[in-house]
Amino acid sequence: MPLLEVNRLARAFGSVRAVDGVSFRVEPGEIYGLLGPNGAGKTTTLSMICGLLKPDAGDITVDGVNFWTDPPRAQGIMGVVPQEIALYEELSGRENLEFWGRLAGLDRSTAKARAGELLAALSLADRAEDAVKKYSGGMKRRINLGAALMHRPRLLLLDEPTVGIDPQARANILEFIRGLCVGGTGILYTTHYLEEAEQLCQRIGIIDHGRLLAEGTLAQLQERLGGDRLFVAEGQLAGARPDSWPGFRERFRTLQQTERQLTVAALGSRDPADCLRDLLALPVHIENVTVKRPSLNDVFLQLTGRDLRE
Amino acid sequence: MKSLGVLLAKDLRRAQRNPLAYLIHLGMPLVITALLGLVFGAGGGGSEGGLGTIKFAIVDEDDSPVTGFLRGAVNQGRAAERLRPVFLDRSNALARLTANQLSAAIIIPAGFTRRYLTAAGPVTLELVKNPAQSIHPAVMEELVGALVTGLNAVARNFADELATWNAVFERPGGTDFRAVADQIVKTGEKVEALAAFLNPPRITYEKETRATPAAGRGPGFNLFAFLLPGLAAMFLLFLAEVAVRDVYREIRTGTFQRFCTLPHKVGVFVGGKAVVVLVILLVGSVILLGGGGLVFRIAWRAPLAMGLVAIGYALFAAGFMMLLAAFAQNERRADAVGNVTAMALGLVGGCAFPAEALPAFMREHLTPLMPPNWFVEAIRGLQFRDEAAWVEAAVSLAGLGFVLAGVAAWLLGRKLRQGVRA
Repeated sequence: MPLLEVNRLARAFGSVRAVDGVSFRVEPGEIYGLLGPNGAGKTTTLSMICGLLKPDAGDITVDGVNFWTDPPRAQGIMGVVPQEIALYEELSGRENLEFWGRLAGLDRSTAKARAGELLAALSLADRAEDAVKKYSGGMKRRINLGAALMHRPRLLLLDEPTVGIDPQARANILEFIRGLCVGGTGILYTTHYLEEAEQLCQRIGIIDHGRLLAEGTLAQLQERLGGDRLFVAEGQLAGARPDSWPGFRERFRTLQQTERQLTVAALGSRDPADCLRDLLALPVHIENVTVKRPSLNDVFLQLTGRDLRE
Repeated sequence: MKSLGVLLAKDLRRAQRNPLAYLIHLGMPLVITALLGLVFGAGGGGSEGGLGTIKFAIVDEDDSPVTGFLRGAVNQGRAAERLRPVFLDRSNALARLTANQLSAAIIIPAGFTRRYLTAAGPVTLELVKNPAQSIHPAVMEELVGALVTGLNAVARNFADELATWNAVFERPGGTDFRAVADQIVKTGEKVEALAAFLNPPRITYEKETRATPAAGRGPGFNLFAFLLPGLAAMFLLFLAEVAVRDVYREIRTGTFQRFCTLPHKVGVFVGGKAVVVLVILLVGSVILLGGGGLVFRIAWRAPLAMGLVAIGYALFAAGFMMLLAAFAQNERRADAVGNVTAMALGLVGGCAFPAEALPAFMREHLTPLMPPNWFVEAIRGLQFRDEAAWVEAAVSLAGLGFVLAGVAAWLLGRKLRQGVRA
């Protein structure tokens, strides 16, 4: 049974459909990534799942029970890490953890013990008594994460938990999250960082303009582009119309075209050498052709016509 | 209840770690009370906080038995209760006057006694007033004027006796005490002869001090005790505004949204905030009225009744400011609306100025409707008039506070439940 099942979820703000028929599920021990640019609807989706917003339509099932049938039960199962640092800056890291733990239902001694455990696991034991306002961005992010873990949630919702921190701190947090997943926690991880989704998530849903455009493992998503390689041709491509070239549409699918660069995926299971020969023989001056593995950005590009980094 | 306790402990700890805004609003009324009190003359010292004791110098450059008699007179009877003379030479007296340690200096010039007793031309007493003080030097001027009038009357009516007195004092070989005794007898006989002309007096006056049931057990009028309740009432509203605004701070920082992801109702959060605001106001009341009482040496006459009125007012202030915050759409608007409203309530309610100084329409029709005025008048009534109206004020304030807090909690809860995103 999935820990979280979201079915045709929808929410509008005025005339803007922030989330439009999104469906996915998160299994125990799985990290499910919701990847999309800013404003795609990730946070709105997450807000509905944790009960901050009521959906206009659709169902949310947590551990087999509809969320709105018994919200406290569902909220007791999940832990939520908001995008902003939702902590009390005047309090120490330990005091913050203990406070959120107490509110999550732990008694005083259990909260104290669990806070110590998490501070050690998050490598913050030596700064535990310092006020949060004295922490670096990465340290605040770690406490922000820890506050959601105090009551040992079986389902963890992470809303872009690494925004604005340095690569080392990000790597530490990702490593910690991997460890949680090994322990059986189901994780919904929203991000607009391609690398994070690629490295961390077992399955990825690509969301844009409130719609889930594609979903699957990284390999499955790459497969949508027609295999495990893409060809990038560089040359004088200003004004070129590849689809009008004889035989091009039967052999290649264009993912992106600029004045200097043409990115294509080969159709069918053709030999890469044949593809290279075909590209060099195009009726424009091609200076260079490279082969690369398709990234999630290429998938996003293919799905939306836009670069995720734009 | 456990969650309320956790929320209360958290917010009090935060207030303790970041107390600046609270300290400013607690310090300001004390500072303003002190300044106003000093400006209007409550700084004269003394436990009664009224006129106080007048400290002045007597510079006796004549050093005669008569001036010795005058020096002794100011240390006798009722004068000793109000006057504290110090006997200095001219330069020391003027130096201490300049240093604002004295209110005035009375200088008795050399040869004063001889010239006065022998009527050898006009004699002059010098009075030097401290320009840095207003009331005490003026009182001294009046006292010296009365003294001079009295000495003149004696000189006009006892010219012969005074000349004889001078001869007694200046006898070679020292004062002849037998002659002094004779002079006292003769002067007494003359006074006795005058008695028929002086008594009974043709005109007199009666003096009455209105007694209250509590007269004798409490202090007299204390200007600080008059000022402090009004300023406390106004600044407690400001304090409530600062505490209530934390609701918006929690929304801005995302801690409220985080709270909403936990299995608790929004009402717990709102209730927690209401309790925190109330506790902060009660602590503030103790600091302002209790601490202020110690600082300004105010002997509160009915501390228990005053405490009950303060609890009622804290309830009102918490409920009122929560209601304003509920209507405000964001932190900035809550700040502006809260401060302006608190100031308006305070001014119209007679917190900053005595209600008597307000325009007639305001004084008669608006001021009595202002809850801060109920609080201020109840405290002043307890302190100065022994009124029992405090019960009505305390009950009204508490009742209004509960109603306002209830409406505010409902509005805030409804607002917070709408459209909050992670």
